[in-house]
Parts: sequence; C-alpha cells; structure tokens
Amino acid sequence: MKKIALINGSPKNKNSASGCLLEVLKNKINDSCVTEFNMHTPNSTQLDAICENEILVFAFPLYVDGIPSHLLNYLAQLEQKLKSSQADICVYAIVNCGFYEGKQNCNALDMMENWCLKANVKWGMGVGVGGGGMATMLKGGVGENGPMHDIVVALGTLSNHILQKECSENIYVSPNFPRFLYKMAAEMGWRQQIRANGLKGKDLFRRV
Amino acid sequence: MRLIIHDLDSDMAKNILPASEDACIISSNSKIQNCIGCFGCWIKTPGKCVIRDAYEDMGEMLAKVDELIILSECFYGGFSPFVKNVLDRSISYIHPYFVIKNGEMHHKNRYPNHFDMKIFLYGENITPKEKETASNLAQANAINLYSQVKELNFAQVAQEFAGKV
Repeated sequence: MKKIALINGSPKNKNSASGCLLEVLKNKINDSCVTEFNMHTPNSTQLDAICENEILVFAFPLYVDGIPSHLLNYLAQLEQKLKSSQADICVYAIVNCGFYEGKQNCNALDMMENWCLKANVKWGMGVGVGGGGMATMLKGGVGENGPMHDIVVALGTLSNHILQKECSENIYVSPNFPRFLYKMAAEMGWRQQIRANGLKGKDLFRRV
Repeated sequence: MRLIIHDLDSDMAKNILPASEDACIISSNSKIQNCIGCFGCWIKTPGKCVIRDAYEDMGEMLAKVDELIILSECFYGGFSPFVKNVLDRSISYIHPYFVIKNGEMHHKNRYPNHFDMKIFLYGENITPKEKETASNLAQANAINLYSQVKELNFAQVAQEFAGKV
C-alpha cells in the first residue's frame, strides 16, 4: 500500500478550497495509506513525517500568480531535507485560483516542478483549478453533478496517476458554469460580505 | 516614487542599492506576518491590510509608485519567501471585482496607477527552466498589478547587481 501525504497549503484553518479539493481526492484514493498535513505552523518533526511518504500531494491557493509565501518557506525547508535523500518520492500538486480559468495556475505549477528538481524528487503532474472559491460555496459539497463536474473528473484522472505513481501532463480546468455568471455572482458576494461588516457596497472602491 | 522591495541583509543592501532619496525601501528589517487569505483588505478595511505590522500599507504604497524594483533570491523561478510575502500582503492595491483582459479574468484596478517593474533575481544555480518560469511570472504579475515589465535580470550573486539597480 502506497504511503501518500495530502498536504493542505492553505493558510486558512478551515473551509479552504484546497481542503475541499483534497477531500474529493482522498475519497478516490481511499485504499492507500493516507496521512493529512497542513502548512500553518509545521515543525521539523512534521516536515520529517512528510518526507517519509513516497507520494506527496500539495494543494494550495494561487497567491499573486505563485505559491503563498508561508508554503514557499516550508518548501525551502523540505528541499533541504529531501535533496540529500535517496528516497523515491513523486510529487503532485493541485493549485486553485479565484479566476475562472484554471490555466492561470500554470506558473505556480511550474514552480512546483522546479522545486522537485532542486529537492531531488520526481514531478508527477499538477491540476490547475479555476473558480476555486466555488468549492467552499456549494451547499452539497463538491460533487460530480453541477458546476464542479470537470474539476472532479480532473481529480479522478489525478488520482489514477497517483495510484500508479505515474507522471503526466498538467491538467487545467474551469467550472461548468458560464464565466459572466461566475463574475456576477462573485461581485454580488463581495457586496454582501462588505455590508455584513457594516460598510457599504461603494466602500469596496475605497482608495487610501 | 521608486519602491524597492529586496531580501538583502543591511550590509549587502548598502553595497548594492543606490543611495537615492526618492526611493522607498521595503526590507526584512521588521518581522512580517503572512497573508491569511481573509480578504479583510477588500471587505473590512478596503485598501489596507488588516494585519498590523510594518507591511500593512503596501497597497497604498504601490498606488504612488512610478517604478517598482524587486531584488530577490530566485526560488524555483519565483521570489524568495520574504519578497513573496510582501507581494502577498499587497493585494489591497487591486479591487475584488473582476474584469476580462486579453480573454482572461483578472482583478479590476483600485487605483489609476500604472508603474514600471524591474526585476533582479540572483542565485547560484538558476536553471533555464526557472528563468523561463520567472519570465512568465513577471508578465503575469504585470497584468495583475497594472504594470509593465521593463527589465528582468539574472545573476549568480546579488553583488553583480551593484550599480545596476
């Protein structure tokens, strides 16, 4: 049975899109020995524990076109631990962004591939997910029916490659939902959230 | 205004950065906390990060910049954790609403500013693939930050950038 680490790289403690996507993946690889990690404040022991797995799956949100800084910091520490190791480790990544197009995660996935080279581990593949915020908004969770269909299918493809420890090309996927409606829904959501904080919709436009 | 974001220690910075009075310099002299993805800078204190430290006003600062200079160690084709942290803490510069640019979704601008960006990346073993990633990243950053990339430079050591920044 393969030892797989599912590593949630979101800075959020709960209700993260990365967590939702990892949950979908976990249900597809449930015959494996899966250990879950988060990257809030990992200590050296936790980083050592990550290195004991033969498959590492990172899931994180796109921050300013790249890897969130806290995760980048821990990746640098992991690089130091792994690069002298002879372990046969394969790495996969799921990056989600608020933009509609999953392709916009390509630079972060390229950085993960570059990290693999420095850390002396094998790059498996990545999935770039657009409309990531929807993952936490859907009342019934992320399922095969509805706007996350293609995303769930892509995670199924990823799970097959993980279970075979195979390399493949990155997959980029967007929601099954019209882009203009996604944009309208997002903007309505921001107005609702700022009003819930006692401000007005026009305060979204405030300049300091 | 010129804004310089760098990850050099203070001695190295003295040797490499220009002694210019019109430049505002962001360094790791203060402890920086990381972005927690709360979007408070859009929906609680619009235009300002809710985390109280020396880096809470990055959005306001970018709104006044003519030229942004980033000097960073290259990590996997991107910036170092400190420099990336500063950029992560800067998203109050843009607006949560979306616009479509070149057929892709991006955030709307909060300010009318358009600045030039010069990037200086150093590291002993920067691979060709990392340089390609860095080039793509710079272009993506430029689109999302309403700026244009004027220079992207690589060097083995930061000292090679002395007199060039």
